[in-house]
Amino acid sequence: MTEDSTELITFKVQRYNPEQDSAPYFQEFIVPAGRGTTVLEGLIYIKENLDSSLAFRTSCRMGICGSCAMLINNYPHLACHTQIEEFHSDTLTVKSLPNLPIIKDLVPELNPLFENHKSVKPYILRYDMEEMKKPTAEFAQTPQELRSFLQFAYCIKCGICVAACPTAASDKLFLGPQALSQCYRYCADNRDEGEQERFPVVDTDHGIWHCHLAGACSEACPKGLDPALAIQLLKRRLVSEAIGLRKKQEPAMVVSPPTETKPKVPFPEFTVKQT
Amino acid sequence: MRNTYVWFLQLVTGVLIAVLLGIHVVIMHLDAILGFFGVDMAEVTSWESMIGRAIQGVWASLYIALLAVVLYHALNGLRGIILESTPSATTERIVTWVIIAFGIIAFIGGTYVPVALLAS
Repeated sequence: MTEDSTELITFKVQRYNPEQDSAPYFQEFIVPAGRGTTVLEGLIYIKENLDSSLAFRTSCRMGICGSCAMLINNYPHLACHTQIEEFHSDTLTVKSLPNLPIIKDLVPELNPLFENHKSVKPYILRYDMEEMKKPTAEFAQTPQELRSFLQFAYCIKCGICVAACPTAASDKLFLGPQALSQCYRYCADNRDEGEQERFPVVDTDHGIWHCHLAGACSEACPKGLDPALAIQLLKRRLVSEAIGLRKKQEPAMVVSPPTETKPKVPFPEFTVKQT
Repeated sequence: MRNTYVWFLQLVTGVLIAVLLGIHVVIMHLDAILGFFGVDMAEVTSWESMIGRAIQGVWASLYIALLAVVLYHALNGLRGIILESTPSATTERIVTWVIIAFGIIAFIGGTYVPVALLAS
């Protein structure tokens, strides 16, 4: 497909204004799409040329901010990271993320996601409060220790894993794969000592033990994370702690930063002569 | 850690069911295979044979243990399904206590005969 071979794609977009409509409905728009046109670009075309009242979130347009997560042809995707031609269809259905309330049109209410995220205390917790308040040095961490949780630190909180999760669909109080994987991310961090504060949050009737291990979160995650793996590893931590088989994990040492640093790479020469 | 213990027991009872139910299935239904290994379990399903096993401590203990682990595994699974579809604190308490009461009644009913036979 080239610029000359632009196709006309029918966007069936879910519209819903809670102040006016009793239920969501679909509205169709014809959008020209060429090679590489993303679903987000299609929606921006609609907003700029066909209906300026269409509501959707977007920010970075390159799969980093997680704002434009939506249900495209009945599967959750980032609209900026999904090209129209991937679907090999001249019709595209676009809806708001399921398992989350709708604010308007394609804008889901993400507060439940963020509240669950906050509840697992997603930050480093340590007992040496003095060092936390007035840091004098650095917490030591080897590359191996970093790799044990690094992939889970790439979460962009887009809500796609929660939208794909069958347990979140049936249990409205379920913590969800995003919060559970972030709980593991901080528990596995050797700089952290907050496990005992996080375990009671996830060890509930609507917490970690309600995960069905469907793996839909891992399959849908646009950043390639494996939240299902994090949940399983967190279950292992909980069980080994409960039955007393847990090895004591020493918190990261506080070490002074290196006094000598590598020489900086010299700034490259300007390719254009400065006048 | 209450839920962790509850679900760890769910895993343990799952393994125990595989072992205990395996013994039950082999004894009750695979007599031809047992016969091949020289074990004669003639008429295992007859009344006399069942009563004969029930008054032996080992068999009675095995079946009481099987009943206990099956009840725990099944009722805890049922509780999980119900709680997932009815998320409310009140429902949780009611469902939990109804399930516990049903489990205790079923266990007493199921163990009455072998315990009475052993006692006699």
